[in-house]
Amino acid sequence: MATVECRNLCKSYGSHEVIRNFNLSISDHEFIVFLGPSGCGKSTILRMVAGLEEITGGDLFIGGARVNDRDPGDRGIAMVFQNYALYPHMSVRENITFALERAGTSRDEIRRRLDPVVETLGLDIYLGRKPTELSGGQQQRVAIARAMIKTPEVFLFDEPLSNLDAKLRGHLRVEIARLHRALNTTSVYVTHDQLEAMTLADRIVLMNQGRIEQMGTPEEIYSRPATVFTAGFIGTPSMNFFSLDAGEGRLRNADIDLAAPFPLRAGKVTLGIRPGAIRLVPEGTPDAIAATVERDEFHGDMRLISLNAGAESFMVSVPAATRLSEGERVLAHLDPASLHVFDAESGQRLGD
Amino acid sequence: MKLSTLLLRIVLACAALMVLLPLLWTLLNAFKTNADLLVNTPKLIFTPVWDNMQYVLGRRSVARALTNSLVICSSAVAMGALLGVPAAYVIARVKNRLTREAQFFALSLRFLPPVAVAIPMMVIWLGLGFYDTRFALIVTYMTITISITVWLSIPAFERVPIAVEEAARVDRLGPYATFFRVALPIARPQILAAIAFSFILVWNEFLLAMMLSTSKARTLPVVASEMSQLGMNVPWGVLNAAVVLLSLPPLILLAVAGAGMNSVFSRKSTQD
Ligand SMILES: Nc1ncnc2c1ncn2[C@@H]1O[C@H](COP(=O)(O)OP(=O)(O)OP(=O)(O)O)[C@@H](O)[C@H]1O
Ligand SMILES: [Mg+2]
Repeated sequence: MATVECRNLCKSYGSHEVIRNFNLSISDHEFIVFLGPSGCGKSTILRMVAGLEEITGGDLFIGGARVNDRDPGDRGIAMVFQNYALYPHMSVRENITFALERAGTSRDEIRRRLDPVVETLGLDIYLGRKPTELSGGQQQRVAIARAMIKTPEVFLFDEPLSNLDAKLRGHLRVEIARLHRALNTTSVYVTHDQLEAMTLADRIVLMNQGRIEQMGTPEEIYSRPATVFTAGFIGTPSMNFFSLDAGEGRLRNADIDLAAPFPLRAGKVTLGIRPGAIRLVPEGTPDAIAATVERDEFHGDMRLISLNAGAESFMVSVPAATRLSEGERVLAHLDPASLHVFDAESGQRLGD
Repeated sequence: MKLSTLLLRIVLACAALMVLLPLLWTLLNAFKTNADLLVNTPKLIFTPVWDNMQYVLGRRSVARALTNSLVICSSAVAMGALLGVPAAYVIARVKNRLTREAQFFALSLRFLPPVAVAIPMMVIWLGLGFYDTRFALIVTYMTITISITVWLSIPAFERVPIAVEEAARVDRLGPYATFFRVALPIARPQILAAIAFSFILVWNEFLLAMMLSTSKARTLPVVASEMSQLGMNVPWGVLNAAVVLLSLPPLILLAVAGAGMNSVFSRKSTQD
């Protein structure tokens, strides 16, 4: 088990710079999730750590040793790929033990290590089959077994669940979490699925355009987003944003007028609030926004209501039993403790 | 069954018969006596005789031609595979200007009319003193086998998912081990088919063989064609027997590697 440290990692394809000065230090046993929109460079960094992609600049340390110039096989890593990448011409058993055989591990030793791995992942009955004779979920379990048996210093996962259907994804996600608790191996996991990131990560590294947008525990990222981008990216349904002018202890525009949650300098701000932090209130509540109901989406455990207040439109989540008709006039109240205020220009969080 | 399906089946059956009947006819005629052959209404029922085959196999020129064909073709194909398959792998995996040019060059070798190859080759081998030797034909045929093997193996290797090779690198395989233990086994059916196809091409090759040999290195197609000039009476039975003999190796190869061959020529990926 080991630490991973990226110091000023850079990556360019020709003159096209994809990653610039990426700094991250991952401690022993930590489960790090790279989260971000498509094309932000998550896979590129993971592949640089794996040694599958050449590092253009900077230093990469695994377990304290600089590994920039080491082959993937000599970095003490094991990787699980998005499309499984099993050896199609080998049986499941051969797929799992191939790396050990190559490394010259003795037959007894291989058998000793194979049993617990196969048992943990429930692969006993598939050992003799070819990968093509397995379902996607089973194939990915084989791929995880292949990585596990090597007892690597660092596990790397590149969107391991994104080719599976929602149910299986949930199932394997729990399994990966369980494995991590049992093995406690340092892990780096790339995904664009928030739920996976939230549930698996000790620390989420949220990326945007080759940079780290924010880094922190799932709670930190969810409850204290550092930028408008983070605030908009994390959370379903996604956060509402309003462009407001701050001044005289108020936040306002043509349609909205609220008390500022904390003293603010005069200027333009972006106000964010999650749909769940808005309540529909009775007539006469101070600081409420008058709005009309535009759409009503039933989500099973709750309803997501789209409201219009003049030029502003926003979402509110209400209990599923609430009955509202289209065009109905309501009053919405934003919970002052759940307001996120960002500088309109830089997108950075203001206040605490 | 729908009418259109039925009609299509009939068209298919006709097409199949058009191909198969002459072949079947040749096979039957190879075992007929001249008397049975030269009648106005073709005979389907007759007493087969081994005479024609025996005549063909018994001729010294045929025995020598058969050996020549086998030695020349297998050597050219073996060398073609040895050089062509690794070359195809590199072209499939390393994409740059050089490999693109190499890939096109391999194909462009096949654009040349055979005569345009034959005449300069003849001059070269005469000049080097290798005219009418197996060696000269083997080297000449290698231009065919290498280019075909390269050209058909490239898509076979391209179908091996890159992620599988990356997994191999993570499993501590170097480039050679990745090639021999992972890429080659995965692409094997198509590679074998490509090699078999190159064998069929050179086995059937006629023009180069005729122009680059006079007697010692004559191959079977040339010798078989010479039988039509044996005398005034065209010995149809003997000719047919020669054709049957000539067709056997390609047919056997087709049976062995047929499935793979189909996938070589279709773009469809078998991997996903
Ligand atoms: N071989 C390449 N040549 C040029 N640009 C590349 C190459 N590979 C990746 N890129 C670019 O690098 C950027 C980051 O790619 P990367 O695959 O790391 O994204 P990602 O975050 O993993 O996205 P996704 O969620 O879609 O997998 C992209 O903008 C992509 O266009
Ligand atoms: Mg990716």
